[in-house]
Amino acid sequence: MILDTPKGREPGRVIVVAIDIGGTFTDLIGFDDEAQRFVEAKSLTTPAELVQGVIDCIRKSGLDASAIDELIHGSTIAINTLIERKGAKTGLVVTRGTRDVYIIGRGNRPEAYNLFFHRHRPLVPRHLTREVDERLLASGETHAPLDRVSIAEACRALAAEGVEAVAVCFLHSYVNPAHERVAGEMIRAALPSAYLSLSHEILREYREFERMSTTVVNAYIGPKVGGYVKGLKSSLGGIGFDGALSIMRSNGGVMTPEIATERPAAMMESGPVGGIIASAQVGRALGSANVISFDMGGTTAKASLVRDGEPTMAPGYYVGGYASGHPVMLPMIDVVEVGAGGGSIAWLDDVGALKVGPQSAGADPGPICYRGGGAEPTITDANVLLGRLDPDNFLGGQMKLDADGARRGVKEKIAAPLRMDPVTAAQAIVEIAISKMSLAVREVSVAKGYDPRDFALVASGGAGPLHAAAIARELHIPKVVVPLFPSHFSALGMLLADERHDFIRTLYSDLAGVDFAALLKIQREMVEEARASLRHAAGAEQQIHLDLRYVGQEFTLSVPVSVEQLETGDRRGVRAAFDALYEHRYAHHSPDEPVEMVNIRLAVIGKRPKLSFPRTPATARATPARQREVYFTDARKPLLSPVYQREALGAGNRIAGPALIQEHGTTTVLFEQDTCTVAPSGELIIMVGGA
Amino acid sequence: MANTLDAVTLEVIRNALPAVANEMATDLQRTSYNMMIYEVRDFCTALINTDGELICQNVGGVSHFVADLGVIITDGMQRYGKDGFAPGDVIITNHQAVAGQHLNNVVIYMPYFYQGELLMFAMVRAHWIDVGGMSTGFGAGPTVADPWMEGLQLDQLKIYQAGELDETLYRVLKDNIRFPESSLGDMKSQMAACRLAARRMDELFDKYSRDTILAAIAQIFDETETKCRNVVSQLADGVYEAAAALDEDGVTRGEPVPIHAKVTIDQGAMTIDLSGCSKERRAAVNSRTLAGARVAYKALTGPLDPVNEGSFRALKVIIPEGSIMMARFPAPMSTWSMIVPMVVDTIVAALARAMPERVPAGHHGLLGGAVVFFGVHPKTGRRFVVQSIEGGGWGGRPFEDGESGTVSVCQGDVRNGSIEGIELKCPVMVEGRTLRTDSGGAGKYRGGLGIDMRVRNLVEGKWNFELVKRSHCPPWGLWGGKPGEYGVYLLREPGENDFRTMGGAHHPVPVKSEVIVRTGGGGGWGDPLERDPAAVRADVQEEFISERSAREDYGVVLRDDLTIDQTATEQARNALRSRRGSAQQGAKG
Repeated sequence: MILDTPKGREPGRVIVVAIDIGGTFTDLIGFDDEAQRFVEAKSLTTPAELVQGVIDCIRKSGLDASAIDELIHGSTIAINTLIERKGAKTGLVVTRGTRDVYIIGRGNRPEAYNLFFHRHRPLVPRHLTREVDERLLASGETHAPLDRVSIAEACRALAAEGVEAVAVCFLHSYVNPAHERVAGEMIRAALPSAYLSLSHEILREYREFERMSTTVVNAYIGPKVGGYVKGLKSSLGGIGFDGALSIMRSNGGVMTPEIATERPAAMMESGPVGGIIASAQVGRALGSANVISFDMGGTTAKASLVRDGEPTMAPGYYVGGYASGHPVMLPMIDVVEVGAGGGSIAWLDDVGALKVGPQSAGADPGPICYRGGGAEPTITDANVLLGRLDPDNFLGGQMKLDADGARRGVKEKIAAPLRMDPVTAAQAIVEIAISKMSLAVREVSVAKGYDPRDFALVASGGAGPLHAAAIARELHIPKVVVPLFPSHFSALGMLLADERHDFIRTLYSDLAGVDFAALLKIQREMVEEARASLRHAAGAEQQIHLDLRYVGQEFTLSVPVSVEQLETGDRRGVRAAFDALYEHRYAHHSPDEPVEMVNIRLAVIGKRPKLSFPRTPATARATPARQREVYFTDARKPLLSPVYQREALGAGNRIAGPALIQEHGTTTVLFEQDTCTVAPSGELIIMVGGA
Repeated sequence: MANTLDAVTLEVIRNALPAVANEMATDLQRTSYNMMIYEVRDFCTALINTDGELICQNVGGVSHFVADLGVIITDGMQRYGKDGFAPGDVIITNHQAVAGQHLNNVVIYMPYFYQGELLMFAMVRAHWIDVGGMSTGFGAGPTVADPWMEGLQLDQLKIYQAGELDETLYRVLKDNIRFPESSLGDMKSQMAACRLAARRMDELFDKYSRDTILAAIAQIFDETETKCRNVVSQLADGVYEAAAALDEDGVTRGEPVPIHAKVTIDQGAMTIDLSGCSKERRAAVNSRTLAGARVAYKALTGPLDPVNEGSFRALKVIIPEGSIMMARFPAPMSTWSMIVPMVVDTIVAALARAMPERVPAGHHGLLGGAVVFFGVHPKTGRRFVVQSIEGGGWGGRPFEDGESGTVSVCQGDVRNGSIEGIELKCPVMVEGRTLRTDSGGAGKYRGGLGIDMRVRNLVEGKWNFELVKRSHCPPWGLWGGKPGEYGVYLLREPGENDFRTMGGAHHPVPVKSEVIVRTGGGGGWGDPLERDPAAVRADVQEEFISERSAREDYGVVLRDDLTIDQTATEQARNALRSRRGSAQQGAKG
């Protein structure tokens, strides 16, 4: 579908910049379309002065801020405000009888045997939760009208307490928001300086606790994130930037600063998302629409599945983990994370079994070889010991690694107690890490009915290319792609991200009795809402899904449908698509069972102008910069391995393993049977031997 | 390939096995048709070897299913013999002589062959919404007199023989249960989960070889056992005891059901002797289960580690035949697990002296406040069942307050029904789900609060009420903490002024009656007079406790603006202490 608003600028010379604030570094990557030139910069993240970090990074890059057309920004501000509990003093206004819904949650104890289990720690205390008189039915009809007196009382009480933010969540407001709207107007009038979040504006889906939690999270982080976005805008203006500012969101799209200010919860998990967008793009460009994005950094590894060029979405997530975290039911790109990163610590448990992670040495003190005072052997130390990381050429030689220290640590903590030699121990550490990461890759693929053999693995992050070929072999993935800028990949993805707005409405009905006219009406309302906030409206696309299940089930599958199917009331086609998807996911289905609909979802995607990246010039053949002894499959004997510098490789170069390919932020390891070709667009394409 | 059990392979297999059981669980839950599976998670998935030993089990389900499937395989192996299974067989069983639980818990299992050799069984036990008999939903209630009244009994029957469906058995099932589409749909999901396990095990065996996997499993058992022993060996040897009681069993009215735990610690080995618990009852509260002892042991030795056969090797459980938890067929078992959370709590309490830093005060200790209201909607003619499980308070801990409104120690990842979800599907209005002020036991660390779940029915229907079970033995305090309030079911019909206490299943109520499902609070930990007055003040501000409780239980006096009156507080605390002293003297005299 085309949303034909005549907007959007003509492509001429375009300079686009993405800035990604990570836990340790703030990364900048920029692209000048006309000059066909990339710009990179990195600076240390300054948690107290995030905006300053962004400005510093632009200065460092040498870019003229006034020449930047668009700046895309991803930040940890939202999630950190929540995790560090540094949000606003927040009040909550609810339907009478539901004051404790937010505290009680679902009453469950996912850690079944833990006598000291605790659930999410509420962000709003009970005395700042006020009940008001109003009640709707599940049909949306009014059972008891909104009592303005009780709202006024709630406002008075919250104002007296000096709350900075207010969340409102009434029962069944997902179907009829009238009461929330009126309450919102009254609260705005009574507490003009307070940040306000109404549940139906954040999420129009049933299940009051999850909607309430999402709304509370939004209100709690709202003032701080809103202030940050405002501050960023004005600081950027101060250095001459007058282009468009976009904020990265968890669903893999971008949004305007205005929307980010209203819905900061939507940017909660924007960190890992950039790399997945970039993986999808790289896959598409190389003719592999099915890829698994694999990003391994300092503390965790993350896997995500891209199918037919589209990342897979999860309907929501729990900030802080399922057991004790805060539910935020906003769509995000589905990512599985495991505690295995370069800094993950290897240790022996009380019966002498070798474990890796989830404890990480992080950036401080870091792995032993970083010489920052780290005393526990890590995955990075093991790689140094195996010769796979070059102690003299780490980060382009800026940081000399302590190879002796790494060996000593592995020897004392792991090898000696297990009566192994240190190299065997180092190899064991790496292999255990690989098996853990393989489980994460399995979880996004095999566990959802996708065969990894049909996918290519796109490896990024400082430690991704180091382990990707081994993981691929473990899972029989035939092809690994190491993209350009693997250690700036998240920022690169942000350059490529489209604008995306997700909407959901609960509409509960048997599929046999679905009122398609009503469905179309809702769809049009959602499109209108999207249009109002869409910057890149020309050529915008929409994706519609219906959440369906067999009658009697609880969990739904999101089935893609077209507008035409809604217009023609294509019940049979929708039903067939559901059965097929169910069969794919669970390997059985029930064509005779009745099906019901729970939600309709709409994503509107505003296409940003596509950048065309420069080609890598072809060269005759690759020449290794040097040779080094490296342990590959056999821990008993190192092999004399050629070491290539990635910058020196040309398109069409072929390299047979065993070999290392080094670049500024990472090293790619090719094992004995692997072969690598450099694509015309610069990526390393590894055909995995024995996969 | 030779047996190459190095540290890496061992660790990889250790991670891979629970992942198989968890993947089975995820699929079962997402494809299930009944809320007992997808919300209450009343199921378990496991792999069991031919000796009946537990290789792996899912994490996060209902805890009282811990390692309880082995007996079924031991029995199945005896019945059919090692050569009596073929690939493609599917066995269905729920018979109480061996399975020892209510008939709703239907076990489906499939033999797993690798290269023609029977190595293990993939199993799923899941609560079917109906198995015929007198009632539907959670089970037939405590008044069922025998298994025949409870429902269909299936005794190790092959519903598939070498991939071939037994049509006769299938039709018997279909015609004798009330919601065949739901239960047979669940059976399909159970079988799919078993097949999934077989695929995953094929991959593992292909990769690591038969001998390596089997050697790894044996070693994993050994290491798990050692880990548990290590925890117990830190405890002082000795005999530790505790006792509790349920008010009654629901049939023999007014007669308490005694619970008693005797725990012996001897150099890393633990013996849990439950001989002092009630004999088997006429009421359907019987079972054959080691769950009480095992859940307690697991919680104390390694709560966050995956479960396998090694988890319980250093534990000896003594339950004599004819006990309420080792009842002989045909003792009725329809509410088999009712007693278990309290048994767990009693065992844990017995160990309070041995491991004070790991033992909380008592929790509400019942299987949650079950909300069950059912009927036929007069407009649509459709049957409906409102089902939810409401949590209660947990005991204060050695370092913090207990959690409020949380399911029992046996229920794990059991979720309450969302109010909006209930009202979307059923003709009721939920008027409130609120915490009960003052229901948590006072203590240095306060017990968590119970819940009032208020439901008004918009059409006629029937309620299942549960009798009061803990009025004589409310959730206990520890180290001077006070007990929590117990729970109760209350009803007010239209025109009535007051709520009255209810009990009994299938109670018809007219339109617009109101029911309160009230759950208990947790006990307090430590002397309430040692609680930080600022924490007491915060509790009053949050309305977790009343001002009266602050004054009378904690000796904390607050001014009108909720500031602490230090002088008055000191006086009040002294007064409470001296009154306590004279009461003790009086008791001695």
